[in-house]
This record gives sequence, structure tokens and C-alpha cells, in this order.
Amino acid sequence: MSIIKTVELKRSFEMGTQSVEALKGIDLNVQAGEFIAIMGPSGSGKTTLMNIIGCLDTPTSGQYLLNNQEVSTFLDDDLAMIRNKEIGFVFQSFHLLARSSALDNVMLPLKYAGEKKNIAIDRAKKALLDVGLGDRMDHSPSELSGGQQQRVAIARALVNSPSILFADEPTGNLDSQTGADVMNLFKQLHQNGQTIIIITHEEEIANQAQRVITIRDGLIETDKLV
Amino acid sequence: MLFAESLYSAINAIKANATRSFLTSLAIIIGTASVIAMIAIGEGAQNALNNEIDNLGGRVLSVYASQRKRGGVTYGSNPLIIKDAEALRNDKKIDWKITPSIEGSRQIKFGNNNMSAGISGHWTNYFDIQGYKISSGRNFTENENLARKRVAVIGPKVATELKTSPRAMLNKELLISGVPFKVIGILESEGSSGWRSPDDNVYVPLLTASDRIYGRKTVNSISVSISNDQNIEEAMVAIEQVLRRQHDIGPGVDNDFRINDWSQYSDLRKEATAIFTILITGIAGISLLVGGIGVMNIMLVSVTERTREIGLRKALGATHKAIMMQFIVEAMLLCLLGGIVGVILGAGMFYIFASFQEWTFYIPLGAIIGSITFSAAVGLFFGIWPARRAAKLDPALSLRYE
Repeated sequence: MSIIKTVELKRSFEMGTQSVEALKGIDLNVQAGEFIAIMGPSGSGKTTLMNIIGCLDTPTSGQYLLNNQEVSTFLDDDLAMIRNKEIGFVFQSFHLLARSSALDNVMLPLKYAGEKKNIAIDRAKKALLDVGLGDRMDHSPSELSGGQQQRVAIARALVNSPSILFADEPTGNLDSQTGADVMNLFKQLHQNGQTIIIITHEEEIANQAQRVITIRDGLIETDKLV
Repeated sequence: MLFAESLYSAINAIKANATRSFLTSLAIIIGTASVIAMIAIGEGAQNALNNEIDNLGGRVLSVYASQRKRGGVTYGSNPLIIKDAEALRNDKKIDWKITPSIEGSRQIKFGNNNMSAGISGHWTNYFDIQGYKISSGRNFTENENLARKRVAVIGPKVATELKTSPRAMLNKELLISGVPFKVIGILESEGSSGWRSPDDNVYVPLLTASDRIYGRKTVNSISVSISNDQNIEEAMVAIEQVLRRQHDIGPGVDNDFRINDWSQYSDLRKEATAIFTILITGIAGISLLVGGIGVMNIMLVSVTERTREIGLRKALGATHKAIMMQFIVEAMLLCLLGGIVGVILGAGMFYIFASFQEWTFYIPLGAIIGSITFSAAVGLFFGIWPARRAAKLDPALSLRYE
């Protein structure tokens, strides 16, 4: 089953009087359960691609079907709903709310989904248990290590059972041992059937995925299975 | 759930920047505090004034002679006389008490000291009507009045000004224009009440004043004290009827007397208090406005500071409405807290003021609810623009904002 399908996806930015094409026509097909790494040097367009397939941005032209739904024409609030239900984000710098506990951070997407409080608490607790932080739920981010913070972020990304888990340089701010732990967690999630897309510039990380796509100058350069 | 999250986030944000939040809401605090204090003081002043009016002839009408006009021509004035007062006393339609006053001033002498003092002649019910009390000695009697006895009741300051004590003067002889009067009573000190002070006056029976001191039957004024269950308007009409009959004034001819209603003065002062209240409330309103602008400014700063947080919330599925609500709730909470602190501060200020003035501590509930609601409304109004800015942020750019 195809989760992501893009056709001739283009995105250009207006820089003063000039128009810069960041994506020049991306055709991409992602099946459910795939574990993909997207690689490319900075300026290649990989961040723009992630923004669009993560529904944080819309293409200038071309089609984007997420779960067979044409989302490239969606308005802001509809995209917000799609992000909430279909996509889980993990960022390089964790992006946790500093003054909220791990549990409250994980509950945030459920709050925006309009979930009832007791159900939200149960699901957030389960998500934290799944990433091995059952005993850290009441800790605030400052009381957690970098690896633990990233686990909280992963729990938050998964709490709404999204179709895709996006991770943007998830190990970039971690030491190699913790980074490896996080990668193992991703592999485990993949084995459980979770579709995962990792954006990275580290070959070592990319090679742990199933399929590696490299982007250069706004186009797909290579697309191969590991 | 969304509102709860907004509130939770707002509390966190305010706590995280406690000093800044306090300074921001200071103008709101000051504005609300002044509104509360001024409304309470206005109310207190009004109550104090009402009490004063009640104590001091609030229900007493005064009748004076006035010039009589007809077609622009002024006739000579027709003075009020003792008979007019008697006619009013004999009219039983209205439950009232009447006393005429003959007033003037004369030299008085006690021992070797003399001075000029106000001497007034009244019926025996005068002290009762005015609410004055006799601290020692007694009031003069109706028989003394009819017999034109040379007896006098004096205000306590008369003794002071004659360089003696009230006690030393009691039952002694006081010379009024060289004629000896016996001091039979001393008034309690009443304090001055605006234009007249009962404390430095000498009081004698009406007929004594009329025949022995001033040699005239005309009186300066007639006081009409009305019981509390009587309507003042009705009483005024009744006075008019009696006096027009007495003075033989035909239909279509103006009165040759006027009736003073002391409550007119209270109306005047009420108006002055109201103007004062409006003025201060206006200033407080401006202070709240300035406070609102300060809140807006800080909210704009806060939106910029929290761009990444906004980006994250949007990435997690926060809609336009959710982000709007978060920042509006924060602005409203900031102003609401300022309003509550302001009410407490204003109440405290009034408490101190009230204890100095010996007023009862009372703040209208409407003023409290109104000013807190108003400060929240200020937050709502000035929170909208920053909240819109936050809600319109681009999620992809915000996430990477440095």
C-alpha cells in the first residue's frame, strides 16, 4: 500500500526579485512499513522535501498524495489536522516544552486532537512505557539526559499512531552511544510495522535504513535499497 | 481540553517571566486600584454627606422673606413675623415642628471681658429641632418665653472667647447690650458645620429677643422640621399655602418668601462628587489603556521569543484557533491577575483612607466585578493582535527560527 506518492513535486521560493527552485520535480513513492533515509548535502532540498511531505509546507506545483489523499491543496487548518493524525515528528533539537513534564509533552498532540483527558493520559503513559521511560514521566526535560529527551520526543511523535514517523537528524545532538540507542529504537519500531523516514547527512545513520534516497539540487539523485 | 492547555501554558509562561509579567501588569494594577479606591471613596463621601445632611437639617426647611416682584416691578419686601410662624404651628395638616429665629449680633460682657456675639431668639423646641444637646443647665421654658425672661443658653465657645469656662458662667449674669441675662444652660460642642457654628452663639427665648433685645416682631427665618415619613414637596406646598394666606397674596402674584431646602445643597455636592469620580475614572481608564498597550507589546515580544515553540505546536497539529487561544488566554490572564491585584491594592488604599475618615469600609460589589471584567477585556482586546501574529506564523520556518 502506498502511503506517500508525489508526482513532479516542485517548490520555489521568492528571494527578493529572484525565484529559487528548491525542488525541481520529485517523484517519490513510499510503501507502508518502509524505513527510508533521505540524504543530501545542505542546500540540496532535503529539508524542503521533508517540510512538504510532512505537511508543514505545500508545493508550488505537482501532486502529493498522502494515504491516497491529495493534500497539496489543503488549507492551513486542514494540514494541521493531517499533521496531528498522520505524521509524527522527531527533531534534532528535541523541541520539548521546557516547563512541562515528559507526560505533558507527550500529551500535547492528543490535546490538539481533542482527546478526552483520561484517555490522553493513558495513551501518553503507554507511549512513554514503549520508549522505556515509564519511570521518568513526571520529569521535566531539564531533568532528563539528551537520549531520554529524544525518547520523550519519539513517544510524543508516536502517541497519535501516525502513518509516518519523520525524524530530522534525530541523532545530530546525541553522542554516538545514545545515537545508536535511538537508532535501535527506530529499528524496533520499524519491525513493528511503523513507516519511518529519517533525514540525515550521515551515511552511517542512513545505512541503517532499508532504503536510501539521495537528493541533489532539488532532484532525486539515487534511490536504492540497502 | 484545548482551553485547559491554553491556561496551563499561560500560567507557565507568566511564571517563567514573573518579573516581566509583574512589571507589564503594573499599569493594569494601578489603573484598577485607582478605580476601586475612587469608587469606594466616592461612595463613602456620599454616605458621609447623606449622614451629615440627615443630622443637619436634612429634613429641615428654612423660610426666608424675599422681595416681591410683579411684572418686573419690585415691591417692598414683606418680612416674616412671629404670627407667620404661629400660623404654621397651628396648621396641623402636616406633621412638622416650627421655630422662628430672630438673629443679630450684640456686645456681650462677662466680668471684665466683652465681645460681639450672635444672639438669636427661638421657641423652646429649637435645640430639639436642630439636634443640639445641652451639656449642663437647662433649656428655657415656654413660660420664660411668654414672660420675656432674661435667660440665655450659650454655646461652649462663648465662654472660651470671654476667657472663662462654661462651668464658671452657668447661673451667672451675662450682659447683653448692658442688660443682665442669666446663663441657664450650656450647649454641647457641635463643631462648625460650614457656614454657621452653633458653638459661639447665644440663645434666648423668642419674645425676649423680640421685645428686649431687637425690638421688632419680624423674624429672620422660620425653620420647619419635617418628620421622616413626610414628603418634603408636600410640606413645601403646605408652607406656601399657609404663608400666602397670612400675607394675603392673591392668585397670580409671586410669593414674598422663599423656602430653602437643604437637600439642594446635598444635590450640589453630589454633583461635584460625581464629576470628581468621572474624572478619576477617566484617568484610571487611560492608565488601563496604557497598560493594555504594554501588555500587547510584551505579548509581541513573547510571540517572537517563542517562535520555535509555536512552530512545534503547529507541527503537532495546533490549528490557527488553538494558537490564537493560547496567546489570548495568556494576555487575558496577565490582565486579569493585574486586575485582581489592583482590586486588592485599591481596597487596601481605601481601607486606610476609610479608617482615617472614620467611614465604614464598603466597596460596591459591582465595582469589583466590573473592574476585574474590564481588565480581562483589556487583555482580550490587546491580546488579539499578538495572537494573530502567532497563529499566522509559518510552521516550517518557525521550527528552524533561531
